[in-house]
Amino acid sequence: MKKLLSALLVLAIMVMGAAALAEGDGYELALVTDVGNIDDQSFNQSSYEGMVAYAEANGLTYAYYRPSEDSTDARVESMRAAIENGAKVVVCPGYLFEDSVYLVQDEYPEVNFLLLDGEPHSADYSEYKTAANTHCILYREEQAGFFAGYAAVKEGYTELGFVGGMAVPAVIRFGYGFVQGADVAAQELGIDVNVKYWYADSFSPSDDIKTKAASWYTEGTQVIFSCGGGICTSIIAAAEEGGGKVIGVDSDQYYLSDVVITSAMKDLPNSVQLSLGALYDNGGVWPEDYAGATQTLGAAENCVGLPTADHSWRFENYTIDEYNELYARVQSGEIEISNSTDAMPETVNVTVDDQT
Amino acid sequence: MKNILQKRGVISLLGSLISILAGFLLGFVLLLVINPSHALSGFENMLLNGARDLSKFGKVLYTAAPLLMTGLSVGFAFKTGLFNIGATGQYTVGAFFALTAAIQFQMPWYVCILAAMIGGAIWGAIPGFFKAYFNVNEVIAAIMFNWIGLFSVNLALNNMPMMLANAWKQPVKDRTGSLGLANPDAILPKLGLDEVLGSYMNIGIFIAILFAIVAWIILSKTTFGYELKACGYNRNASLYAGINDKRNIVLSMAISGAFAGIGGAIYYLSGTAQFTIVKTLVNMGFNGIPVALLASSNPIGIIFSALFVSYIQVGGETLQPEYAKEIIDIIIAAIIYLSAFALLVQNGIARLFNRSRDAVSVRKEGK
Amino acid sequence: MSEYVIEMLGITKIFPGIRANDDVTLLLKKGEIHALLGENGAGKSTLMSVLFGMYQPEAGVIKKDGKPVKINDPNDATALGIGMVHQHFKLVEVFSVLDNIILGAEDTHLGFLKRDAARKKVLELSEKYGMRVDPDALIEDISVGMQQRVEILKMLYRDNEILILDEPTAVLTPQEIDELMEIMRSFAAEGKSILFITHKLNEIMAVADRCTVLRKGRCVGTVDVASTTKEELSRMMVGREVNFSVEKAPARIGDTVLKVEGVTVPSRTHKKNAVSDVSFEVHAGEIVCLAGIEGNGQTEFVAALTGLEKMSGGKITLNGKDISHASIRERSIDGMSHIPEDRHKHGLVLDYTLEENMVLQRYWEPEFQRHGFIRRDKVRAYAQRLIKQYDVRSGEGPQTITRSMSGGNQQKAIVARELDKESNLLVAVQPTRGLDVGAIEYIHKQIVRERDAGKAVLLVSLELDEVMNLSDRILVMYEGRITGEFDPKKATVQELGLYMAGAKRQDGRTGK
Repeated sequence: MKKLLSALLVLAIMVMGAAALAEGDGYELALVTDVGNIDDQSFNQSSYEGMVAYAEANGLTYAYYRPSEDSTDARVESMRAAIENGAKVVVCPGYLFEDSVYLVQDEYPEVNFLLLDGEPHSADYSEYKTAANTHCILYREEQAGFFAGYAAVKEGYTELGFVGGMAVPAVIRFGYGFVQGADVAAQELGIDVNVKYWYADSFSPSDDIKTKAASWYTEGTQVIFSCGGGICTSIIAAAEEGGGKVIGVDSDQYYLSDVVITSAMKDLPNSVQLSLGALYDNGGVWPEDYAGATQTLGAAENCVGLPTADHSWRFENYTIDEYNELYARVQSGEIEISNSTDAMPETVNVTVDDQT
Repeated sequence: MKNILQKRGVISLLGSLISILAGFLLGFVLLLVINPSHALSGFENMLLNGARDLSKFGKVLYTAAPLLMTGLSVGFAFKTGLFNIGATGQYTVGAFFALTAAIQFQMPWYVCILAAMIGGAIWGAIPGFFKAYFNVNEVIAAIMFNWIGLFSVNLALNNMPMMLANAWKQPVKDRTGSLGLANPDAILPKLGLDEVLGSYMNIGIFIAILFAIVAWIILSKTTFGYELKACGYNRNASLYAGINDKRNIVLSMAISGAFAGIGGAIYYLSGTAQFTIVKTLVNMGFNGIPVALLASSNPIGIIFSALFVSYIQVGGETLQPEYAKEIIDIIIAAIIYLSAFALLVQNGIARLFNRSRDAVSVRKEGK
Repeated sequence: MSEYVIEMLGITKIFPGIRANDDVTLLLKKGEIHALLGENGAGKSTLMSVLFGMYQPEAGVIKKDGKPVKINDPNDATALGIGMVHQHFKLVEVFSVLDNIILGAEDTHLGFLKRDAARKKVLELSEKYGMRVDPDALIEDISVGMQQRVEILKMLYRDNEILILDEPTAVLTPQEIDELMEIMRSFAAEGKSILFITHKLNEIMAVADRCTVLRKGRCVGTVDVASTTKEELSRMMVGREVNFSVEKAPARIGDTVLKVEGVTVPSRTHKKNAVSDVSFEVHAGEIVCLAGIEGNGQTEFVAALTGLEKMSGGKITLNGKDISHASIRERSIDGMSHIPEDRHKHGLVLDYTLEENMVLQRYWEPEFQRHGFIRRDKVRAYAQRLIKQYDVRSGEGPQTITRSMSGGNQQKAIVARELDKESNLLVAVQPTRGLDVGAIEYIHKQIVRERDAGKAVLLVSLELDEVMNLSDRILVMYEGRITGEFDPKKATVQELGLYMAGAKRQDGRTGK
């Protein structure tokens, strides 16, 4: 009994000490994850990195919240919790937030929302509405795909493959950009290039995808652009077994395997920082061209591209200088890349084998 | 006072309360260790959040409903001497049956629940069948059927284009169609409760409580329950008594599975979450085990233990962002873990009070 | 130095609803065999469990060699040199004899068991006391008698000086009982003290020096066995005069109730048949006893007769109806009652209440259920009647969890249930196993009453006294066959013994 009492006493002292330490001012910047965690090596993580970088550079408080389940209601609940904890800006990474932001943006007009890779709409898609306190970011995926396709051909590959997760607009833009980039490089080199093209209809790894990729490598495909979340696991496995290469997507995926020669990146950390900068420079509300608007970020904003760090640049023939030069030409508009998702782009030296 | 403390029911309740208290104490110590500056406010939030406003309470009820069903599933099997660790698989198959009825066949919610019941019952009956007729341990069979269930459902969904979200306006294929778009009639009625208790609220909890009462009646009032429990406690004696033990094992597992299946239906027919095609077993089934243990498998007790577990889960969410979700899960697990020591504490209490009992009252009872 | 090695003074132990020991004093001298006598539920086992540290008494003092000691758990008891053999053995079935003996007292070298040294010690001990065991046999493969030896060797291995034996003879054959008594005497001669729980008066007279008698938790007294009689002891134990011989009128034999023809049952453990070609009849109004040493096919035969196990050949007819392949419940409905050999395995659902056990085969009858719902009030009333009529004692009446009841009262509950059932064949397997004289007397009377009421009784017993006293006809079973049929009035115990041991068999009874 005595032991119990003394343990309680110690506890009580600790409580009082802790209470004295407690702070209660909340967190100004908040990020709600879509369903996974902030170490998902994808959207949640790169957005969070951007937010943290901005917050620390500017001395702002920040926090992240993870919903209790994979549902709109749960995401809304976490956004509300963030706001109750003092959030002035809520960063929402990913299209899963489209209906959540739609619901919450009007409820909290004084709070700013930053929605990445999506635009708010009602649950039944009957109404799209981006309120004045919301800013949406989309990306020029076709430019990222273009850089990847161009680099692959310049490196010397002539047998390329594209595996998309699902035929949704973002993935299609990646794919068509990839084909356009390969075609431009092929024309410059005056060679013929073949591209096999396929949608896996899934964002998860599966044996089907691995089998498909393996058969491509066997048939001579040298590098496959793996475009869609989890399917890279299957494609990398096939590449490692079949001696092929892989191009990653969204973020710098060099760490996944040595076969990943480059990645068609959307620079989420940078875009989050840019948007937050615009917001705070404007006194904490979205500037006019951001408010209720969607910004499509691309090379012009330095928000798409290939990773150029030493460990990520695994090309032997294609150089960073060549890449920078190409990047400048895209930025300046000298090279125009179509963002149409209507039909496979016209090509000159590239033959597309569309297996969809 | 002392006489009250002798009563079995009182001791059992007291035991549960003391263990829950000990669990909270441990939870608080963990909070202190991990992030001292927010321990007190965090602890307070955790304790009070579920009751702080009606919408949070609504969420407690929403989470409790499927938990209650899987708890019931495990508890019912326990009562009949079987360890149904397959509640997860039955839950998944039940959810699949419910969603198939809802989306593929456009059935109303009550038909969907019925379908889930059948799906769960089939998935529970198979390990029961192997146990009864081939003496295959139900734990092993059920674990395998968890995985078989999960991947069969994934396979089926991948081959049922109408079931997936992309058939219902959403541009994704990794989850079933949102019921709000695919078949609003399949969503459990809210009866206007959502206006008071928040958007999560529906009649799921009432359905679950109804089944808890049904389970209690079966087990304690019917000849069928008498047979089931006899088989569970002593298979040889029930054989001696002329009870068909094989049939009862299969039936017991089927009922247990049906409960878990209904749990899956209640969760996914809320219209909130969509069934996602993943390769991990859902936790809801496993969480049924502590829920059942906490209530010593008593169906009525399971109502309260499910509410309790749900309450601290909802409360735990408010520990964000000061504590990471994973840490919160550890704390909740610690609380539940200690709470499940109820039985141990009960024995302790019984001992304590038996020792200090005054002799007069004893002599009276002894006669 | 005190005269006594163990003094238990004023011990009181209370369980919910029952005062198991009430101010009990027990004094144990060095080198004596001290019997602890009492009816079932008198508190013998509780008292010994207190001494062995499994229960803490509410009041009272325990002294060892005159010094007060506190025994908190069996480890403390072992440290004081106290060892105990429980009624239900505490052995690991899948371990060898040797491993069981050393379990908990293992000597190790660098973390490895010193098995060889242990084996040597065990073999020495078994040599010394004439208790042969195979140290490498698995417990599950050896007989109950052997298992008891293992338990005793466990105590010797730990150099225990005070040995508690809880009803050691209940599970033994007559020969094994004789051997055990011999062993006990040699322990005492060596200066070990033995506390010996029993309710068999013959054994006390044969082997004990002194005897302490408990009745309903209280100490009735301690007597020198040499200066007392069986009658005196039983009066102390029961509190009244006990009649040892069963009084019964001559049998009025009626029609054939049970007809067994060529029944053969395969063995579960070996390729031979456990029961081969057994044929006999039991008539209304007679008690036929199946006698034999344990393990000669009686258990398997009863299992086949009652439907617990399938037979491979033969025919069983009950009241003219072929029940060879009938289910257990059909046999029950057709008029068979069965007091099973193992009350814990088959007779009771220990976690059920007494009232629930009272309707174990009858819960489905309209009397006890309506539309699938159990009629609790009817069940309770029925249980209360049986409890009263058959004097079944328990802490909380019909609602007592059966597990908490004493063995004798559990058995009484089964007997009550089976006798009260409407039937005309009673299969009673060791119906008085582990019971005290009072209860035995009562159950014997009940069985005779059933016979006189015109029931056919098939009694399976290992106790020759019971066989001789109760039966109207004796069948001896040896190695799965009936080897002899006797009239108890004409046969002697010695003659039966020869048949039971397989030394003799009657012609025409040998089978094929």
